[in-house]
Amino acid sequence: MSRAGKIAILARQVWNNTVSQSSAKVLILAANSLLITFLFVGFLNQQKHQEQIHGFGQEVREQWENSPDKHPHRMAHYGYLVFREKFPLAFFDYGMDSYLGNVIFLEAHKQNTVNFSEANLSNGLLRFGELSAGMILQVLIPLLIFFWGFDLISRDREQGTLKILFAQGVSGFELIWGRVLGLFLVTLSLIAIPFVLGFGLLFFQQETDLLGQSLVHFLLLGMSYLIYFLILCLVAVWISSRSQSSKSSLISLIGLWLTFTLIVPKVAQVIGQSVYPSLSKIEFDTAVEAELIRQGDSHNPNDPHYAALKDSLLKAHGVDSTYKLPFNYSGYVMREGERLSTQTFLNHQKNLIEQYKNQQSILGVASWIDPYLAIKQLSMGFSGTDYAMYLGFQDQAESYRYQLAQTMNELQIDLISNRVKNSSDPAARLSSEYWEEFPDFHPTFLSGQEVLENNRFGLVVMILWLLMMVVTVSYSSYRIRVF
Amino acid sequence: MVKYLLLNFFRSKVHPIGLLLLLVSGLISIEIGSRFLDRTVRVSEKTAIHQQESIARNVSYFNKGMGDLMYYLRFGLENETPRLAGLSIGQRDVYPTVQSLTVRNLEEQRYATDLVNPLFQLLGNMDFSFVLIYLFPLVIIAFGFNLISEEKEGGTWSLIRSQTVSPLTFLKIKMGIRLGSVLSVLLVLLVIGKFYLAIPLDLPFLVFGLVSVLYVLFWFALTWLVVSFQMNSSQNAQVLLSLWVLLNLLLPAGINVLQRWLFPVPEALSTVIQNREGYHSQWDKDKEPTLEKFYVKYPEYRDFVHPKEADFSWLWYYAMQQAGDEEAATEVQALKRKLGERLQLAKSLSWFVPTVHAQLSLNALSLSDLGNYLHYLTALEEFHEKLKAYFFPKIFGNAPVLEENWTGFTLEKFQDKAHFQWVQLLAPFGLSILLVWVWARFNFRKSGIYSDQKHAS
Repeated sequence: MSRAGKIAILARQVWNNTVSQSSAKVLILAANSLLITFLFVGFLNQQKHQEQIHGFGQEVREQWENSPDKHPHRMAHYGYLVFREKFPLAFFDYGMDSYLGNVIFLEAHKQNTVNFSEANLSNGLLRFGELSAGMILQVLIPLLIFFWGFDLISRDREQGTLKILFAQGVSGFELIWGRVLGLFLVTLSLIAIPFVLGFGLLFFQQETDLLGQSLVHFLLLGMSYLIYFLILCLVAVWISSRSQSSKSSLISLIGLWLTFTLIVPKVAQVIGQSVYPSLSKIEFDTAVEAELIRQGDSHNPNDPHYAALKDSLLKAHGVDSTYKLPFNYSGYVMREGERLSTQTFLNHQKNLIEQYKNQQSILGVASWIDPYLAIKQLSMGFSGTDYAMYLGFQDQAESYRYQLAQTMNELQIDLISNRVKNSSDPAARLSSEYWEEFPDFHPTFLSGQEVLENNRFGLVVMILWLLMMVVTVSYSSYRIRVF
Repeated sequence: MVKYLLLNFFRSKVHPIGLLLLLVSGLISIEIGSRFLDRTVRVSEKTAIHQQESIARNVSYFNKGMGDLMYYLRFGLENETPRLAGLSIGQRDVYPTVQSLTVRNLEEQRYATDLVNPLFQLLGNMDFSFVLIYLFPLVIIAFGFNLISEEKEGGTWSLIRSQTVSPLTFLKIKMGIRLGSVLSVLLVLLVIGKFYLAIPLDLPFLVFGLVSVLYVLFWFALTWLVVSFQMNSSQNAQVLLSLWVLLNLLLPAGINVLQRWLFPVPEALSTVIQNREGYHSQWDKDKEPTLEKFYVKYPEYRDFVHPKEADFSWLWYYAMQQAGDEEAATEVQALKRKLGERLQLAKSLSWFVPTVHAQLSLNALSLSDLGNYLHYLTALEEFHEKLKAYFFPKIFGNAPVLEENWTGFTLEKFQDKAHFQWVQLLAPFGLSILLVWVWARFNFRKSGIYSDQKHAS
């Protein structure tokens, strides 16, 4: 009989043995229903979220366009409310989504925080983890793989059937790969239907323009998870082949599962926090403010930067008072202030984000020893619920804010008289047509290519894990102990 | 025999390693708690300094009118972090420690968040409550899963049954040693935590300790129940680990999903819209209705009037700001009510899930839960009203800026108190331990081990 034939028989044997147990039938059914339930729960939640924020977004736009004639600086303070959209695949793996804010108030002079994350509205329970298809696949399915795989070779050894198998001409290589593939087959029975359903759900998303990208992401997700499960099947059977007894094999695998899902992530987090400490909001704000005061404080009547600006303007236009300038002076000052403060803020924010990325890089390094961390990051990445996707939103919101503030400043510079005392002066009103001209906020998600680029490292780690396990298992298959 | 079993306990590799694992991770968690407390202290100190500096600077820029100045001045209210929160950080890393407010509208200010790496929030802090709730049960399971089966599989069970001491007494002593060792580590950690984090020896801390002990007892009782079925070691390990997954992952996450479904809070986003609209739309309206609304809310300011025909006055400006808060008021009430309902639902369901009960109780005792945040939100309202009550007459009466003692405005603190009811706190543990214990007793009696006790000397 061919080698492939023998492997197929051994694999089928694992399948038949596992599926014949009533407990396994229950578990397969439970895993399938759990996955399907939470795919739907996540999907419906997401639809609701999207509908809600689209409604709110429309309301904000209408209010903006319907604002009556007023001073442009009033509009700059009225500002804009922007709501964070979810990527079509966010329902698959919530990732960081629940810890990220959903609404940001964009106004002149000031960068507000993105507020009202799901975690803000939750009690401590969120800390137990969130039930999503991603969590079930990353945490629970591996446990089932280990439960079904721990005695696949050690039991044969304990019962003496290993001797018989070898006597019948089965090689160690065939045995171990037969068992691995059998276990993998059982694993597929847990996830195949939910994956197909999840794929189908994507066609019911409202954001049809993202369909192509999300389908590609979903296939990449599916592939990553298959690699992850294959790695775990290899680990389970390998440990089983090397253990003294089934009991010790089970204990080792449970220990490994705990190390992967609980210990390594926590340790990596502790290390990340200690090696790369990051600023609190007050420290960040104080640093930005201090630098701004150094550069020029538009609020300070004696500030040298703005005094020089004023002098040079007066000289250039040959006038002795800002009232005589051919444009609105206070608008000019505000434009300069907005430019300086935004630049300073962005510089500091860049450093902060750099530090966050350093902290996160520790987890990237840890995924070399922990495939759970590798799949977790990949899964978030392809589901569009990772930090990169969020940063995309944050950047676009900030540049929209800047654009809004400066557009209003430009309007003021060009169209408002220097004689106007304050913004509630009826003589200082601009037509509401100017508001309509300012475009709505339409954020875009990272493109498929950018996402792939961000997750290239994770994919490489997964593939190397797989190669390493394939080599290890194949190599050690020739030295399986019979007793 | 106790001596023999003790020797046996420490001779095995698993037990010292397990205890050491708990001790080391417990110590790390206490260190993490200490760093967290340091950070909050640092934030509080920096905010206090910044507040003074920024008041002084603004006073030097805008000393001509109170209205102008008060547009800028910010006053902080700190949600004081009890030292005990070092053991159970809970939601404290999600909610900011200090909120600084101007006398302008409150809604726009009070939900600002701190800067935290979201990945770390996702992974969660490895605080003491995590070690207790997640790791302690695992070690308890590792210690107890083969209590009987190791004797059976090692061939010593029949020997034990023929000894003078009843097998049940033998098992009880064996389990007792394990319980004693785990509890000792727990107590050592609590004592170290108490001194290292400088936690005052008050009622919340003692109750915190009591809850921890009861939680450990619950897991021992559960393990005792599982071994009472006398399955083999592998089956015991699988059943116990599945229970751990159920109690520590599936059920809590399930309750969380339920909370979201039953009490969705679109209000969180709609208050923001309402508040912004409520304030800004006033600029384009007649001033009288805005002022009249303000006078209805604060009749004491009726004596201050907006100058006829004037385009602007600070009275009108702050009346507009007030309109923003009023507009959002019903939504805010709904938001707070729903958050309260979420909390209540979790509390009720936690009667059946000891892990959730432990986490919620520990967070509540260390004032790091949603309940504390809701109290803080209310405290911010009161603080804001107090600021307005003090400064509004000065703004509207245009009191001289430089006569005010500005250095007196230091960072204020909100001190919450842990509220708990003994029955609500202890009964869920008591009942579950009792239930599990009785069930195990029934199993042992059925299997005949129990009846042997009457032969015991």
